[in-house]
This record gives sequence, C-alpha cells and structure tokens, in this order.
Amino acid sequence: MDLLEFARGPALQFAALVLVAGTIWRIVGIVMLAEKPDYSEPRHRGGYLAALKVIYTRAFTADPFKKATLYPKIMAYVMHIGLFATIFLFTPHIVFFEGWTGFDWPGLPNSVIFFIGVATVVSGFALIIRRMTSPVLKLISNFDDYFSWFVTMLPLITGLLIPVRAFFRYEDLMAIHILSVALLLIWLPFGKLGHTFLVFITRGTTGMVFERRGAKT
Amino acid sequence: MNYRPTVGEILQAKGVSRRGFLKYCATTASLLALPPSMIPRIAKAIENARRPSVIWLSFQECTGCTESLTRSASPTVEGLIFDAISLDYHHTLQAAAGEQAEAARHAAMEENDGQYLVLVDGSIPMANPGYSTIAGISNVDMLMDTVKGAAAVVAIGSCAAFGGLPGADPNPTGAVSVQDLVKDKPVVNVPGCPPIPMVMTAVLTQFLTFGQIPELDKHGRPLAFFGNTIHDRCYRRPFYEQGKFAETFDDEGAKAGWCLYKLGCKGPTTYNACATVKWNQGTSFPIESGHPCLGCSEPRFWDKGGFYQPLSTGHFGSGATVAGAAVAGVALGVVAAAAGKRRQAKYTKEA
Amino acid sequence: MNSVNEIPVGVETTHGNVRPILSEILHALDKLLDENATTTIDLASLPFGPGELDALEAALGEGELVAKLDALGNSRIRETTYPGVWWIEHRNVNDEIVGRYVEVTRLPEILCSQDADIGAGRARLGEMFE
Repeated sequence: MDLLEFARGPALQFAALVLVAGTIWRIVGIVMLAEKPDYSEPRHRGGYLAALKVIYTRAFTADPFKKATLYPKIMAYVMHIGLFATIFLFTPHIVFFEGWTGFDWPGLPNSVIFFIGVATVVSGFALIIRRMTSPVLKLISNFDDYFSWFVTMLPLITGLLIPVRAFFRYEDLMAIHILSVALLLIWLPFGKLGHTFLVFITRGTTGMVFERRGAKT
Repeated sequence: MNYRPTVGEILQAKGVSRRGFLKYCATTASLLALPPSMIPRIAKAIENARRPSVIWLSFQECTGCTESLTRSASPTVEGLIFDAISLDYHHTLQAAAGEQAEAARHAAMEENDGQYLVLVDGSIPMANPGYSTIAGISNVDMLMDTVKGAAAVVAIGSCAAFGGLPGADPNPTGAVSVQDLVKDKPVVNVPGCPPIPMVMTAVLTQFLTFGQIPELDKHGRPLAFFGNTIHDRCYRRPFYEQGKFAETFDDEGAKAGWCLYKLGCKGPTTYNACATVKWNQGTSFPIESGHPCLGCSEPRFWDKGGFYQPLSTGHFGSGATVAGAAVAGVALGVVAAAAGKRRQAKYTKEA
Repeated sequence: MNSVNEIPVGVETTHGNVRPILSEILHALDKLLDENATTTIDLASLPFGPGELDALEAALGEGELVAKLDALGNSRIRETTYPGVWWIEHRNVNDEIVGRYVEVTRLPEILCSQDADIGAGRARLGEMFE
C-alpha cells in the first residue's frame, strides 16, 4: 500500500471515526450537564426563537465595537467564506461528498477556487500575525489557538500546492493533502475548532438566557 | 561462435537503400523522442551495432502484449526492428516447439552470454509453480535460469512489471512481477495493459542503437514515455480547469467532449504516453474516444477502487464501524456529563 | 462510414499549436536565407488536438513540387506553398504513417542521391561491360 492509498483509505477512515466519536462525545457531554437552576423571575419566556435570533445577530458586531474590529472581522469573513468555497465548491471535493452523501451540486471553475484559496491563505496569515502581535491576544492565546490555526491552514496550503505541482509529484502532494485533512478531522472535535458544531449551540443558549433575563439580544 | 552481422550489413543484405536507411533512422529518432539533429548519430550507431540476441519468455499472460507489439503480418518499421534483432526464442511467434525450442533457447544463451536481452510478458505464479509451466519447466525456474547471462531484462506489460491481472485481489496463483524475483540484473518495466506498441519498440530500439537502457523512474519505467501523467498532457484539460465535466456517458457534456473526471478517469495519477503518442499510429486514445483512463500502467490498477469511481471518492469503510464510533461517542459523553454533574454538585454543596 | 476520420468530432477546443509552429517556420526561413541552415521539425513530438494537424497542413498548402519515394514503403516529400518549406510524410509497407516532418531547406537530404547508393549502382552498371 503506498502513501496515497493509505491516506485515502485507513487514515481518512480513522479520522472520520474519531471525528464522529469526538463530536458526539462533546455535544452529549455538554448537553447532559446539569442546568444551573435560575430562581429569578423570567422577563420573557425565552425559547428557541430567541436562540435563532441571537445566532443571526452575533454575525454582526455591536455598534460600539464596530470600528475597532473592522479589520479582523473582514479577515475572518474572508477566511471562513474562503474555506467554505474551497471545501464545498471545488468539483473534486464535491465528487468526494457525493460518494458519501449521494448529493451533487455545481462547483466553481478551478481557477476561481485557486484564487479564493490564495485569498483565504492570505487572510489566515493576516489573522495569525495579528494574534501574535496584539498585546491582548498574545496574552490570552494558548496552544489550542495556534494548533487549531495550523491544522486548518495545512490542508489549504497543501491543496494549493497540487495544481502548482510544487516540490513533489502529484500522488505525493495528494497524499500529504489528504493526511493533513485527516489531522484536521481528528483535532476538530477537541480543541477550539469544535466551534464548528458548537457555535450554534452556544449562541443559541446565550440567546435563550439573555431573552429570559431581558438583556439585549 | 556465430558471426553476428551489424544492423547496417543486415539492412544492406536485405536490399535497403541508403535513402531507406535514412528514413529508418529518422523514424527511429522520432520513436525515441529524440530531436532530428540526432539522426546522423543514430545512423552511425545503428550501422555499427551488432545484432543483439533476444529471448522472449511468456508466462501468465493473455498474449495482448505480443499482439500489440507484432500487430501486422507484413514487415513494418517496427517489424524491421525484429529483423534487426535476433529473436531467438518466442513462444507465440516461433515455429519450433518442445525440446527443439528449449535447445534453441539454451544455445542462444550460451552463444551470447552476458549480452542478450530477456523480454518477459506475464506474471510468475509462486503459490504453486505448477500453475504455469512450459515444457515442464515452471515459470520461476525458467526466468531465473534465463536471466543468468542476460545483459538486461525488460518486463513487458503490467503483468510482468507489477503482477497485473493475475496479481489482483485475491491473487489465487500468488502471482509476482519480474522485479520481485530478479534482483541482480537491470530490469526495465514497460507497463500498460497492453503497453503502447511504439513505447515497447522504442525501449528495444534504444538498446539496439545505444547499447544501454533508458533513464528510469522510481517504478523502473522509461522516463521518456512515463515521465508525465495523462492528466498533464490531456487535450481535455481545459474542460477540467473550467469545471466542465461529463456526468454520464451519453449526456451533453460527454458529447461535447468534456472532462471525464467524474466518470472515474484515473488520468491524474497515471503515468504513460497515451495522451501524446496515442494508439493505432496516433489515431486516438481512450479519453479521446470517450472512455475514462483506467490507469493501466500503474501498479495494482485493478485494485484501486472501481474504474468508474472518481479519484476523489472516499473509501469509507463500513457503516457498522461508523455507527460503533457514534455509540462510543455517546458513551463517552454520558460518562463525561456524569463526572461533570458530580463535580457541579460538589461545588454547589460546598457553596 | 469508412474511416475513423469521418466520425464527426464535437470538440471545439484547440491547443493553439498551429500558430506557434508557423512562427517557428518563419524563423527557420530567416535562418535559411541568412545562414543557409536547415531546420527539421518533428511533428510527432508536438501534441495536436483533433483536427489541428490537418489545420497546419492546410495552412501550409501544396506547392509546385511533389516527390514520391519508394523505400521501405512510400514517402511523400512535397514543397508547400512557401518555397523552402517542405512537408515530409513517411509511410511503411502497410501504408501506415511512421513519420511526419516539416523541413525548411533548399532540398531535403533524402531527395539527393546518396553516395552509398551511387556506388552500388555504378558497380551494377559496371557489370554490363565485363
């Protein structure tokens, strides 16, 4: 079995199992925690509508902070949208998902994806430099932050190397790319990257709690 | 010791004019992917080359490689190469049989000790040597005996180069490749199912003209013909880049000649000359005819997922393991939550 | 349908190979006029999309002179509409194409009578007088 077959086969399978187990572990572990009893009189009933509302409103910065956070906000949006496009709108990836889910959807031309991918890498580096130079961020950042950034950037960079055919032959570049994706999937449930599936739960919870107490949502 | 004439003398004896010889050298240069400026050097080399002896061994094979190489009954330029080389032993092509044939093989080996070429097609069964025998001699015995005095060994076709179809899962005969067995002689792999005839001839011509084997890649394949992937030389590449793919074999995309990636084309991971040299004297190749590349010049191509599974399909293992992982996740979650709750209760009690 | 070439091809893409080759031929003609140097282009070494080889042949066209060579099969050596630019096609005894070249020269080498052949012919003629 050569490296590519290993990457496509056992490595990815193992990563998928860890992803499934880890994600469910975290979600179940959090959801099943005891709720702290709230003895105060509720201002409003809270409820799932509030949860949905906050999920939406948190996408936009509150007024006082808008100007200060404009630059990182733009970079973060470029990075997230770029990740979405390069992962889900690139035809060979779509074929991968089709094999798994049975669903097919149109993709963007390869050159467009390449351009988006480069923009995403640039935004990623912009953000990590900001993290390392801003005095506040530098203080509060830990291994989790840096490692999560690393395992996200690695598939992106290795993926961009493939059409460029830099350093190695196609099969080896592909193997490295798939192994880096496996690494990402294995780490994803456990660190801050878990926000992928947790962010909507946490924002929703915040929304419900705030609404109950009458805070602005 | 028989006098071995030079190729120049052979061609002259056949009544080939100098013009004919120049034509032959020009096409040889083309064949070896050498620039026309090399023609005078090739002419000189061929003129003075001694006729090498070639022993061809056929083992577990379908004879497709021999068919591909010796396509027509009448002599062609490729056929001339066989006239130029002394094909002393070939199961399919030779007239002799039985002990007479084996005697001819041994005579050729003795007379040309250290200088003959061994060409092999077909894989060699190791599970039971009796699975494939010639004149009562097992393939492995015949191979190891014949390569003893060889200058080089050429494994023709994917079966000889990598084990091929017999070597595919579950490999009931224990088929192995030539390079698995021959360790002390230079082995050149010319894979393909079958290989492009021109590629096979070029390797032989290289040996004939320059007396050496060509530069090889990590799988022992001549770099001149296996140095690029089909994908990198495919004329449908612009469609791949634009995201225009045929979804089925008869849709509008297929009719318009769009990229066949989604139909399982293995072009990106397959090294061969099909996209440039093509087949049937440059007529076409599978992709041009509308069928995705099978990847037939790569090791174990029969076992690399289906021919119609796109390259980027995942191999997910069974649903049962995934379900098992989900259950494990739930279990871990419950345990974590219980531990968390106990800790919460402890702190709440202390407060 | 008698031949593969008659099957209609629906691919519109081209590699864009024709124009660069014509440019190469242009430079070769300059070399021929300035330095009396011959240039040979092996068409087998270039990847052509479907129909591009015919496009190149059509672009060069047929000139005044056609020579037919019968040695190890037929070969056709033809001057194109651009004097000095020759289209050479070698075929084997099965009439299959084994070589295609564009040669930019005053006279392709293969058209000249070769020394070895002249020598052999002279010997044959000499026998008549023995």
